[in-house]
Amino acid sequence: MSPITLGIDVGSLTAEAVALSGRELIASAQVDVLHDPVATARRVLSMLDETLRSVGLDRRQAARTIATGYGRERVCDARLADHHVSEISCHGAGAFHAPSAAAGAGVRTIIDIGGQDAKVIRVNARGELSDFSMNDKCAAGAGHFLELMCRTLGVSLDELGPLALGASHPVEMSSRCSIFIETEVLHFLQRGFDRRDIAAGVCHAMADRVLSLVRRVGVAPEVTMTGGVAKNVAVRREVERRLGHRMIDLGLDPQLVGAYGAAVLGSLEVARSGERR
Amino acid sequence: MIALGCDVGSLFTKLVVIDDDRPDDVMASRVLRTTGTIGTDLEAEIDLLLHEARVPRARLGSIGATGRFASLVPGATFVEDEAHCVAAAVACYLPGVEVALHLGGQSSLAISLDAAGEPVRLVRNDKCASGTGRFLEAMGRKLDVGLDDIDGLVAGAAKPTTITNQCVVYAESEVISYINDGATRADVFAGICSSLGRMAVAQARRLCPGAMRPYTLTGGLARLASVVAVVEAGLGIQRRPFPHDPKLAAALGAALLEDDPGHP
Repeated sequence: MSPITLGIDVGSLTAEAVALSGRELIASAQVDVLHDPVATARRVLSMLDETLRSVGLDRRQAARTIATGYGRERVCDARLADHHVSEISCHGAGAFHAPSAAAGAGVRTIIDIGGQDAKVIRVNARGELSDFSMNDKCAAGAGHFLELMCRTLGVSLDELGPLALGASHPVEMSSRCSIFIETEVLHFLQRGFDRRDIAAGVCHAMADRVLSLVRRVGVAPEVTMTGGVAKNVAVRREVERRLGHRMIDLGLDPQLVGAYGAAVLGSLEVARSGERR
Repeated sequence: MIALGCDVGSLFTKLVVIDDDRPDDVMASRVLRTTGTIGTDLEAEIDLLLHEARVPRARLGSIGATGRFASLVPGATFVEDEAHCVAAAVACYLPGVEVALHLGGQSSLAISLDAAGEPVRLVRNDKCASGTGRFLEAMGRKLDVGLDDIDGLVAGAAKPTTITNQCVVYAESEVISYINDGATRADVFAGICSSLGRMAVAQARRLCPGAMRPYTLTGGLARLASVVAVVEAGLGIQRRPFPHDPKLAAALGAALLEDDPGHP
């Protein structure tokens, strides 16, 4: 069995931890963030440990633990990881080396839409970061926007995408700001528009923000989408339609890609140090 | 001639009646929330306003409409954009002022005026709620602070916070984490007012890259001394205070513009 490596991604809304043996995912865990990144990391690692123990393993066997995400430095300071890598590099590596991509899909563009920020990452033929663009200034292009709109629409985040797919005449939002679109959604509801059409309008507005970020660095196939928003089928389809590229499936929960990439980078490091020895 | 100006903004609707021979005496004014039924409510509101001004409907020369929902004003003689209305009011009440910084409910404008009081250049933010009244309203709702309480609250701030996020959604999370870390509402609102003031300064700088020219502040946010102080400190010169409620500036302009034959 290949050495075990761990990746832990402490984001602004959720945290994920994965354990790999080589490239094979053997365990994963996810939690909503707690009051501080270290407490969050401890919680998600102890959940991961439970799964590992159920298959006769232990996280203390891990050859490398790499932290990423917004809380990564605090996680390292608390000695819960050996070192940290930016989420941009981890997402790039995670998507490039993902289970289905490993079979030769050759991911070059990763559209990662998280809770509080959005990034478009370009990687080269070796899976290394070559360019990226990022929006962390405006909520309208990030997952937080969909959460706000779901609250206004009275649906869960999981329901929004499927609801939008049932639209026959999607509404068009005239604003770009989350606050203003929220008002538009309220007005559409008050005027009795079909909630499916409003949901589609929300998803299209989100796709519009995503595309404006993609245009800054350009797009090269294969393209994939990661982060929580990738789970929204209506946003994904609209982005695909307007880009003219199909999003390839990574064979991995899109929210796990950052943690998976961190663990992959750990496993590459372990392999390199093995060669040197 | 007696003229009525009506500014249907995104948050508030403002109505004024003036006699254009004596524009300094505002005969009557009303401010109400812009609701979904504002179009039908306005008919009765106009009657109430005229009653208060003791002006029979037949003597009313014109109704000038402006603001985001200007098209909803019943019986409007004309519709004019906010920039022209604010400029008209500033030219009438503050001759010599060359720049108006208009901080409204859902947009902010920096307008430069020519000698005739016409707007010649404009920097506008109407795409994003940052720097507008919506920002303050969202925060006020979150922390249960009304617009009229803000100045008193900020005056007692011991350790003003610094709000770094421009996005209202993110600033809200920032405010909540300050509160969780033990900041008082006074400290938080001092930070919010300072952030609003800085955004107005940035907009003014885009309009006037060189030396700041004589200016005034209008719109609802201009009523807040805590915001005004930050703008004056940031621009290095004091404003010429708008002599009426600055929230009424666009409505006053709509009333003043009534018989401007030179304007399409």
